Amino acid sequence: MKNVLYTIFAISICLMLGKLANYLLAALPASLYGMIIYALFLQLNWFSPDKITKTNQWFIKHMGVCLVPAGMGIINHFQLIQQHGIALVVIIFSSTFILLTVIGYLSERYLITPDNIKSKTMAGPR
Amino acid sequence: MLATFIVNSPILASIVFTLITIATYQFASACQQKWQYIWLNPMLFTISILVPFLLVIDINYQEYSQTTEILNLLLEPAIVALGLPLYQQFKQIRFYWREMTAILVLGITVVITVSFLLAMWLIKAPEIAIALSLKSVTTPIGITLTEQLFGDSSITAFAILIAGLFGALLGPQWLSFIGVNSAKAQGLAIGSASHVIGTAVLVRKSAEHGAYSSVALILSAILTALISPWLIPLLQQLFN
Repeated sequence: MKNVLYTIFAISICLMLGKLANYLLAALPASLYGMIIYALFLQLNWFSPDKITKTNQWFIKHMGVCLVPAGMGIINHFQLIQQHGIALVVIIFSSTFILLTVIGYLSERYLITPDNIKSKTMAGPR
Repeated sequence: MLATFIVNSPILASIVFTLITIATYQFASACQQKWQYIWLNPMLFTISILVPFLLVIDINYQEYSQTTEILNLLLEPAIVALGLPLYQQFKQIRFYWREMTAILVLGITVVITVSFLLAMWLIKAPEIAIALSLKSVTTPIGITLTEQLFGDSSITAFAILIAGLFGALLGPQWLSFIGVNSAKAQGLAIGSASHVIGTAVLVRKSAEHGAYSSVALILSAILTALISPWLIPLLQQLFN
């Protein structure tokens, strides 16, 4: 229970700082600033990662339920789906596969080489 | 009758509809855990049960969303909680951050442009085009960004779900087919295109797949938040 309150406290502080950052800098939404600040504080050990992990993972596991009300808005779009259902699926399908291809291909090409070089150089002096 | 009675009392309505939503979601999660089908996504399952339910008891979306406002408010702290996986992946990000950022920026720019232009061409509605172009990020952040840019967030939520399912079901096979076989590349591609749903499937392959997939899902959310506020207005100008 103590750790639950500790986690809620840590997340609230970071969200507040995120709101402040959003007010001062704009650019990113407050919650995203909060997320980055939270990760940074954990990295700096200002908040103990051991204490928050369990509760935090519980939050992440169940956060999907917070998204249901937004998704329910689809109830207002039956006409759109009737009229443009196929177009919607085509757009989502094609752009998802373009993204998969671009990122997959570029990563395969450019992220693998440094690792090979690194393992070769590491093997060298031995 | 009962529905009118509940809706007339705001507190009772909030409690009842929030509880119904949570209970249905829990039931859906339990079903998915039992049968392990990807398409049995708890959010999709919950929506497909609640939509007919609301239609039957004659409650419109505005009433439902007002009564479940508390769940919407919890979205912000939930996004902050995603800082934990970001912290856990710092090591991976630190090593390749330049290359990964460059690749993701290029990928995100392409996907936003393609989705926006296709949507404007086929559907001709800017708020739908905005919603569809922000569908390759994790749902909470996609919804926040769409609202910021005055798009329709319910379309984003749905599009994100479908993109997630496509990528999770067909992505790994497609990547192997085009010769992308390394764990890093498959992880980054699936994480950026199919976010949490894709990551959940990919993590079964290997821990490295899962780690890169979650790095991509978080990094691409941050980068989309930085790119979309200037790229989307630019694309909108093409149609003015």
